Amino acid sequence: MTRSAFVVPSLSKVNQLVEPIVLARDRTFPVVDELSGLFADRGIRRGSTIGVAGNAAVSLAVALSVGISRSGGWVVAVGLPSVGSLAASELGAELSRWAFIDRPGNQAGDVVHALAASVDLVLVGPDIKLRTGHGRRIVARMRERGTSVIAVGNPRLFDSRADVSLRIKQTAWTGIGSGHGRLISRRVEIEATGRGANASPRQQLLWLPDRKGQLSVIDQSNGPRNSSRSTRAENKKVFSELALRAS
Amino acid sequence: MTEDTRTLVLVIPHWPTIAAGVAYNCPAAVTHMNRVVDATPAAVEHGVVAGIRRREAQRLCPELEMIDHDEARDARKFHLIVAALESITPRVEVSTGGWCSFPTRGPSRYFGGDEALAQLVAERALDALCNTLGVAEVPRVIRPRVGVADSRFTACLAAFPKNLPLIQIVTPGTNSKFLAPFPVDALGRKESPLVDAGDLVDVFRRLGLRTLGDVASLPADHLLARFGSPGLLAHRLSLGIDSRISQTHLISDVVIEEGEIEPPTEGTETAVFLAKTLADAIHKRLSSEGLACARILIEVESEHGETSSRYWRNEHQFTPTAITDRVRWQLEGWCHPTSGPTGRLSLVRLVADEVVPDDGRQLGFWGGEAPSDERVVRSLARIQGMLGPDAVTVVEHREGRRLPDIEQRVSLTVTGFDPDRSVATPEAVAAPWPGRLPAPLPAVVFQQAQQLIVTDTDGQPVRVNGRGQIGGDPAHAQGELLGSHLIVGWGGPWFLDERWWDSARKNRQARFQLLLADGTAHLCVVQSEKWWLEASYE
Repeated sequence: MTRSAFVVPSLSKVNQLVEPIVLARDRTFPVVDELSGLFADRGIRRGSTIGVAGNAAVSLAVALSVGISRSGGWVVAVGLPSVGSLAASELGAELSRWAFIDRPGNQAGDVVHALAASVDLVLVGPDIKLRTGHGRRIVARMRERGTSVIAVGNPRLFDSRADVSLRIKQTAWTGIGSGHGRLISRRVEIEATGRGANASPRQQLLWLPDRKGQLSVIDQSNGPRNSSRSTRAENKKVFSELALRAS
Repeated sequence: MTEDTRTLVLVIPHWPTIAAGVAYNCPAAVTHMNRVVDATPAAVEHGVVAGIRRREAQRLCPELEMIDHDEARDARKFHLIVAALESITPRVEVSTGGWCSFPTRGPSRYFGGDEALAQLVAERALDALCNTLGVAEVPRVIRPRVGVADSRFTACLAAFPKNLPLIQIVTPGTNSKFLAPFPVDALGRKESPLVDAGDLVDVFRRLGLRTLGDVASLPADHLLARFGSPGLLAHRLSLGIDSRISQTHLISDVVIEEGEIEPPTEGTETAVFLAKTLADAIHKRLSSEGLACARILIEVESEHGETSSRYWRNEHQFTPTAITDRVRWQLEGWCHPTSGPTGRLSLVRLVADEVVPDDGRQLGFWGGEAPSDERVVRSLARIQGMLGPDAVTVVEHREGRRLPDIEQRVSLTVTGFDPDRSVATPEAVAAPWPGRLPAPLPAVVFQQAQQLIVTDTDGQPVRVNGRGQIGGDPAHAQGELLGSHLIVGWGGPWFLDERWWDSARKNRQARFQLLLADGTAHLCVVQSEKWWLEASYE
């Protein structure tokens, strides 16, 4: 008895002494360069909660997960049955690292809790509700295990406010008129607010998606890109392809 | 390990397609991960064989019907065939659906020799097959095939190839002579105990070893020196010796794990969940001695004392999840409303009755299969246990023009799930196809299209005629999910006319992109004069 009382404190001291120093960037998940400006750590801090809301919320949530799935991490989407996997693939997501739990029903809390111990990122859809108090327990477990969660269009998922809240303030599609043209790219204005290091608001202007379905930063110095002649030529090609009778 | 035992192998060719319920005379194929697993005899005539890509199969035979592979379905239906053999011997070992075996020593003496036994097994299996299909006669290509030989591998090779007679009996002691003319590729078949033998077979072929006889003629120690234990195993297999390298350490008692279900349960899920813990316990006990299980006896009892007891064999070794799957298959086959147990399930017992040295995969130290992948798959399996087997899905991309055709979700199969599998990129699945959607693609694709009402400025429904002319400009859209919005921009119609030659599956539609006043953009289709919301550029 006396012996173990003596050993335990010294062991924990040794543990503290030999614990490796962890750099801030090792404690974050990588995020593609275009979005890293929205985070104080230039990446998603492990164990943090992120809220995404607005018109392009699904695209933005998928874009945020790209860095994680690309670096071998696992992403599980809970209650998001209609994420377009081709679009996700265009944004750069590595879909072999994705799993979907479409309808967790009233066991959503248990499902997210079970995932918190093993996967790197959990996307939670708008219809998922957790019991009061359950949310806080899950957040604590996520902090401990280093699993992050993105609540997509679901600001009341956890009892507390998200560490980082991304709101899409404005969206505007280009390329489509009434009866002519097609959707080419979408200009989005994202505003990030949050707690702690993320407290000061940040903004970012992006093409989400751009004409290739990818993500790119809007270069404001060059003016609008989509009215050029090359776009018209490209449109013509695409339309001829579309109009071909499928055989 | 004991000496090789003379074994009878029963194979029903094309079982995956039979279990899927397609008639042998209509062209159909069972596919898994974009590859054909099995094809009906009618499809084989077109050149569709196991292993080719989905797309290639569709090219060879355009009217081919595609069915997703489901191991559980195969095993469940096979229950009926195995039940027919149980009056011959109680020791039938099921490997997968369509393929089982048993040691012949006792039954062969009782029924008057291998020949008579094999005849009897073939007849019983044929009767059971006819009953399952509900027909009086089946063609030769899908009749049950029987092989009897001194070792399992030899018996498999006697039973599987289609050019041999339906019943092939290898005289005792002539195993190696029988095996000699087989091509060396036989070592890489799924029935072979060699794990991932593709590379080894390839090297053998390049070394000029074309048949099993060539491999057998080499000195065993040379093969061991050059290729390690797989080389030695290949040599033994080619000689017709099955048992793996003899085991010096025998485990003292048979490993049994059993658990009572308290209170007894009607549904199979609780029993399967219990079996998972039992399987983990067995695995832990065996792996602490460096062993793994190659054959397992699964017994389930009901509260009225009825039991279902079956041997399951794996050519390599069972993982805990593979054992759990076997329990589920056995229960699904047994718990039939009419012929199943009358009481609720009360006990599950697992007996690992044949153990082999564990040659399991070593986790990579630098890269390779990271332990975290295993953890992820384990937690997903737990969620499947909670919500049901179809609750967890992964993405598979298939070729096609319509988004719902391309983006497929398949249930995660925990056994054999490859964390490094690849999902085809949009370019790969939609590349040169006319009629495909241009980038950017919609970020939300609805699993069920939702109906819309689209009207023009006068409030009249917008129609598209057969020549692709649109009646009026779409001005207003209303739908259950969208609400009611003005249309501020639209593009289209773009036509899609698929399979116009096939009256049952033809699909003719016009696609539109709609930009609504709230800033959201959507992909809609007009089909049979109705508007459908197919996807959103969310």
